[in-house]
Amino acid sequence: MRSHLTVLRCLMLSTLLGWFACLPAAAGEVESSGFGAVVIPQPVKPTNASACVEPVDIMRRDHMKFLLHQRDATVLEGERDSKYSLVGCMDCHNATEPAETVVRYPDPQHFCAGCHLYASVKIDCFECHADRSLKQLQQGQLDQPLEDQFPENQPGSALLSLHTFHQQLGDTGGE
Amino acid sequence: MANELDNIELRPARRRFMQSSAALAMTLIAPGVLLYKTGQAQSENEPGSDNKDLPATPRWGLLIDTNALSEADVDACVAACQQEHGWHSDAGSQTAAQWIRKIHLTDKQSGQQTVLPMMCQHCADPPCVDVCPTGASFKRADGIVLVNKHTCIGCRYCMMACPYKARSFIHEVLQDQLAVAPRGKGTVESCTLCVHRIDRDGANAVPACAEAVNRDGRKAILFGDLNDPDSEISQRAKSHGATRLRADLGVDPGVRYRGL
Amino acid sequence: MPAATRFTEIKTSSPQYWGLLLLLAILAAVGIGAAHHMDVEGHHISGMNNQVVWGLPHVFAIFLIVAASGALNLASMASVFGKVEYKPLARFSAVLSIALLVGGLAVLLLDLGRPDRLIVAITHYNFRSIFAWNIILYSGFIVIVLAYLWLMMERRFERWSRPAGMFAFAWRLILTSGTGSIFGFLVARESYDSALLAPMFIVMSFSFGLAVFILLLLTSFKLDQRELDGIHLQRLRKLLGLFSIGILYFVILFHITKLYGSQNHDFERFILLDGGVYTRLFWLFQIVLGTLLPLFLLYAPRWQHSSKSLVLACLLIIQGGFAQLYVIIIGGQAFPLNIFPGYRVESSFFDGVISAYTPSLWELLLGCAGLASALLIALLVLRVLPMLPQSLPGTED
Repeated sequence: MRSHLTVLRCLMLSTLLGWFACLPAAAGEVESSGFGAVVIPQPVKPTNASACVEPVDIMRRDHMKFLLHQRDATVLEGERDSKYSLVGCMDCHNATEPAETVVRYPDPQHFCAGCHLYASVKIDCFECHADRSLKQLQQGQLDQPLEDQFPENQPGSALLSLHTFHQQLGDTGGE
Repeated sequence: MANELDNIELRPARRRFMQSSAALAMTLIAPGVLLYKTGQAQSENEPGSDNKDLPATPRWGLLIDTNALSEADVDACVAACQQEHGWHSDAGSQTAAQWIRKIHLTDKQSGQQTVLPMMCQHCADPPCVDVCPTGASFKRADGIVLVNKHTCIGCRYCMMACPYKARSFIHEVLQDQLAVAPRGKGTVESCTLCVHRIDRDGANAVPACAEAVNRDGRKAILFGDLNDPDSEISQRAKSHGATRLRADLGVDPGVRYRGL
Repeated sequence: MPAATRFTEIKTSSPQYWGLLLLLAILAAVGIGAAHHMDVEGHHISGMNNQVVWGLPHVFAIFLIVAASGALNLASMASVFGKVEYKPLARFSAVLSIALLVGGLAVLLLDLGRPDRLIVAITHYNFRSIFAWNIILYSGFIVIVLAYLWLMMERRFERWSRPAGMFAFAWRLILTSGTGSIFGFLVARESYDSALLAPMFIVMSFSFGLAVFILLLLTSFKLDQRELDGIHLQRLRKLLGLFSIGILYFVILFHITKLYGSQNHDFERFILLDGGVYTRLFWLFQIVLGTLLPLFLLYAPRWQHSSKSLVLACLLIIQGGFAQLYVIIIGGQAFPLNIFPGYRVESSFFDGVISAYTPSLWELLLGCAGLASALLIALLVLRVLPMLPQSLPGTED
């Protein structure tokens, strides 16, 4: 009877361990590169700016603090002119000009993904925020006067133009 | 005699019963008292209370004149909001988000027809804020009701509680969201009153839906400070009247309608 | 009699026992897989939409949570109301209530839009939210019942088990009131907005919890070939019938109070007369099959001593419970919000129309996983800890 119990306890323990082993896989962030072939990330420096908002060593250590503070200040208090904005990061670090070179977040080539995959730190920023700069695309769209986009105020045409807008995004995005 | 004996025997049991009932009543009532107190505390800090030392906080709102809005105007509102925030909705989709929608009303008795745009009503006492377990659904100091998507766990209780069906749940993975409207799978969203424009322009801001219909000097959708009695929106509400939807619920919406 | 009760682990190694465990484990695993799939794909693959935001998983979760607090009844009968004849069942009652609660909470958690943000739910509290209170009530319940269970099992502290039992009983009443109030406090929806939902949920918990308890008790006794005298089942049978009548009373009262205000007539017409699937679920599955037929089986003299009729009644009551929660939760959302009283409403966002909801396979699998994992936990605990009495012989009286 005792042995029975032991077997059962072992079963429960191994199930538990199995669960923990599965957790990182469920998080979907771990690259299956194997232990031997870890590649140290080489993030690409942006070409459209001379310096980051803070010295590199400070950014490396504290970027998450800046972003977290900025995030709460923006959402809760409407503080929108801070220099630490995620959109600002993407404008330089993933400007994706020309558009066909776009890299998406989980891709190790993405400025954020390289280190975050290396360090196994899961971030969910890009589930809600664009993982690249949309400055040019947006500017082009918003600079058009409203009348040109919605001739005769037809709902159908408005939806259509929006669809084309999204298609444009999708096309230049090129999964 | 027999009765008396019965009574004596019952007494300890009855006392025990009374004691436990009293204890039970205390535990049941305590959370209610707490709720009432937190409710009171919150409303004391609210803008518009009689605290004269603080500078007046604005309360942003909209006055929508349904008499001045054609169906095409309301469509333009919807399209402008989609354009501004990057959401779109396929006709007939049950799961697509709609921050603002066109509503056709027919009076059941007179048959009078009205068309109006409907969005988050930015209540002074928003039920969505009350029910949100994590406080992700919140009201800014200036009265704008928002979802903090960083703490939203996607429980959808706010959608159950909203009297205006103003909220949508994001059912699928999204990409390339616009900078002014970050939005992603598994969280709830609704009209932000174009909060990014308000943060930039203050009282001179014009939400996208208002911008779409207020051409040629018309003011079919008026944006302004409801706390300032001299603001255009307050003056107009005073002279022309303004209806709150479901005023019976006492949630005091910041979006008001004319012509209903 | 209670002093002589000997508690033992169940020792059967019958293929039925292991088969049952295997089946439950598979159901649980498949359901967790389904939840993961919904999480990756987004909820558009589920049956939910922007109109009906709480679907089948919530029916399962709330059934389990309600039944969890009800499963503690037997322990409360012994500790709070001093009925010693229920004492041998108190341990099992506490174990089952924890297991059901864990199963229900797992479903609730896995159906969130962002289940990965569990930590946010634990660290950010909005104390005006019933939901936030419920998070505290549920986790508190587990801790309290665990303590209560330990006090019952530890001979040195047995005298403390009575106050602990009382505390647990008060807590579970508040807990179920909180669950009912999740709906009762929704003032904007005429389908809810009733203080009656809190006491109704309490009586529902008594009934569903006891039905699950009886089924699992009979199953484990049978699998382990333990002796169970009919007298105990007679008692449970009477209690179950009483609770069923209690639910019926509250259901009638709820609809009568709604019918009294003419603003709710459309809603009542929807549920009682022309609500399609909801009307059928209400009359056929909740009232006839879930209440009247079980009452007949429980009280009809010719069935009085048949354990088969008791099992059937329990199963019927459980399916009636699911039907009732489906009508309350999903039927309540399907009925449109009345934003513009006095107007006919049309829009692209399904204002003014009865909303559609078809449960998806993923949601069903997730719900079943919750049920399966609750039973799995209960059966495993029975195996490793002495929770069940060795036998339940009849008493002299």
